[in-house]
Amino acid sequence: MLIYSQPLELTKLLAAIDNFLQGNLTPGWTVLVKGILVGILILAAYTLIALSLIYIERKVAAFFQARLGPNRLGKYGVIQSLADMIKILIKEVIQINKADKLLFYAAPFFVIVASVLAFGALPFGMNLHALDFNIGVFYLLAVSSLGIIGILLAGWSSNNKYSMIGAMRSGAQFISYELSAGFSLMTIVVLSGSMQFSEIIEGQRYCWNLFNGHLPAMIAFLIYLISGHAETNRGPFDLPEAESELTAGYHTEYSGLQFGFFYLSEYLNMFIVAAVAATVFLGGWMPVQIKGWEAFNQVMWYIPSWAWFFGKAGLLMFFSLWVRWSFPRLRIDLLLNLEWKYLLPINLANLLVMVVIVLSGFTLTDLFPALFGK
Amino acid sequence: MKFIQYIGGIFTALRSLAGGMIVTWKELLTPKVTMEYPENRKTLVISDRWRSELIMPHDENNEHACTACGICMINCPNGTIQVTSSSIDTEDGKKKKILDKHLWDYGSCTFCNLCVITCPSDAIIFNNDFEGAVFDKSKLLHRLNHEGSKLRDRKKEASTLDTSAKKENKEA
Amino acid sequence: MTEQIIFYLLAIVVTVFSILAVTSKRIVRSATYLLFVLLATAGLYMLLGYYFLFAVQVSVYAGGIMVLFIMAIFLTHKPGNNVSIKQGWRVRLSLLLSVAGLLLCGEIILNNTIGIVRFAGKEEPTMQQIGTAMLGTGKQQYLLSFEMMSILLLACIVGAILIARKTKTEKNEPNETEL
Repeated sequence: MLIYSQPLELTKLLAAIDNFLQGNLTPGWTVLVKGILVGILILAAYTLIALSLIYIERKVAAFFQARLGPNRLGKYGVIQSLADMIKILIKEVIQINKADKLLFYAAPFFVIVASVLAFGALPFGMNLHALDFNIGVFYLLAVSSLGIIGILLAGWSSNNKYSMIGAMRSGAQFISYELSAGFSLMTIVVLSGSMQFSEIIEGQRYCWNLFNGHLPAMIAFLIYLISGHAETNRGPFDLPEAESELTAGYHTEYSGLQFGFFYLSEYLNMFIVAAVAATVFLGGWMPVQIKGWEAFNQVMWYIPSWAWFFGKAGLLMFFSLWVRWSFPRLRIDLLLNLEWKYLLPINLANLLVMVVIVLSGFTLTDLFPALFGK
Repeated sequence: MKFIQYIGGIFTALRSLAGGMIVTWKELLTPKVTMEYPENRKTLVISDRWRSELIMPHDENNEHACTACGICMINCPNGTIQVTSSSIDTEDGKKKKILDKHLWDYGSCTFCNLCVITCPSDAIIFNNDFEGAVFDKSKLLHRLNHEGSKLRDRKKEASTLDTSAKKENKEA
Repeated sequence: MTEQIIFYLLAIVVTVFSILAVTSKRIVRSATYLLFVLLATAGLYMLLGYYFLFAVQVSVYAGGIMVLFIMAIFLTHKPGNNVSIKQGWRVRLSLLLSVAGLLLCGEIILNNTIGIVRFAGKEEPTMQQIGTAMLGTGKQQYLLSFEMMSILLLACIVGAILIARKTKTEKNEPNETEL
């Protein structure tokens, strides 16, 4: 395999930092400093991505409604969400009299810790991967399931019936749709034969999993998008915080930074869902490459891998926003109907079909090894 | 049979969802109707019928048409207008009322237009200059007649076609 | 050194929150403390390098069962009320039982330390190894017990549906909406 020139890749910079640290510190301290650096980077990226997502969401929502959206602060209102962040930071955290104080304060941390844990394990680009577990996909599903506990506790400890109903709805919805999300990811794990993100991405060098597994992969992709969308309590599935009936659902009683935690994690969860879908189905940070077309591949590699990653994830996020601003909110029984009577049975059958296809060699890489094979 | 309905239902749902998304996609690309106000001051068009600020038009000789009759003050439903006048002796020995101050409170005006309709000499009108916000409540009290202004000569006025046409309109 | 510090931290978390989970008078708080215990246990697996077990612990116990626990508690009558322990003999009996359990486990662990180290020292099994071990029929493979588990769970689900389902006679009676 040819080695392509990658001018904008961060690999060299990272190696230089690594060399510098190892040259000046003992191994133990190197690990510690690296850990702290990575932690700061992840938290900074978390905040930055969430803030820019809030801005993009407001802008896209406005455009879908033939408005202009935020346009006052900075050119086209780009620092609007920064101003919002400052406002939220200096707001008072209101104490609720008859709330269960301990759980009330702990709940936002559950939500945000779960989403930071999942965020930290994402492969952002070539060598931009903090944790590469051999169970990457499973790890992501596991830690993201912790967030729902925070939502349930928030709803209960607020001592408010709207919060409580919102939390119960959210719980029922999350548990249901988590099944579908898990199964559709498992379909792709069957196809790529690994749960490790780096291996899944490497396996999609010449053919994305979406096309490699053709029909079942596309069904899994669709189901993952739907259930991921539902898991993040957004779009037509936002009835845990249906403002017309529940004021704001589980975070009705929260203010200031605590509300900010819920807000940030909601947007970040949207990013995580889009990023996982991009990594697992659309090749992650791997640039588009065609076997044999070396010049074309070289041009594609000039675009850095992190740009590919954010581009693909951004496309899926735009899709998610499009869905959100297109459809009316579902009723709770229709919502559960969709999951238990449609998505889950289809998903189970789909998984079986995928197993048959992989075992009998009907994937594109098996059928046309000259075009798509590794 | 039920199974066929089940599968058919999925495709119907997908088709109708796609239909909805096409509608919103078109909406995304439509030109936006939002006006960005302070930037578009030059091109901003406010309807002539918009009543914003009561003014008393003065001509180039600093003359107005107000005879200080006080009808606008009487007709104002919430006492927004205060007309103060004084009487002077003219050259031919008659007594005549002249306007001292015509005060109008922007803050309590409901823009009902009654003062303008009832004014017998069309001395006051509403303009459409809507940027009336001030930082001090006392600035809302406007004095409509300019400093040193005086009543326009009636005879000159009668000869102008414009006012007579206006009066006809009013009678109609 | 670092590993030891982390281990002791996790051990303290497990111990403290276990005690809190039992002694807390509010049941939702108890459930939350139990969640911390489970998460700290997952942390121990992480420390040992068993990532698969870590993920299973987090997703099944912390993310799955605890959510069901909390939701079930919400559905009970007045979950916010403080519980007062009245019968002293129950406390004493359960204390006795837990001390007995601790002694038994401690005895087993102490006498088999070498065996535990032998298993713990191995490298983490890959997903393929775990999969074949779960679904194989050979030596040290667990298809039979795996399937037994699934049948048990299926029976539970069927039973739950049977309990939750309305009977036919109930259906014929006019319900509230019809009135």
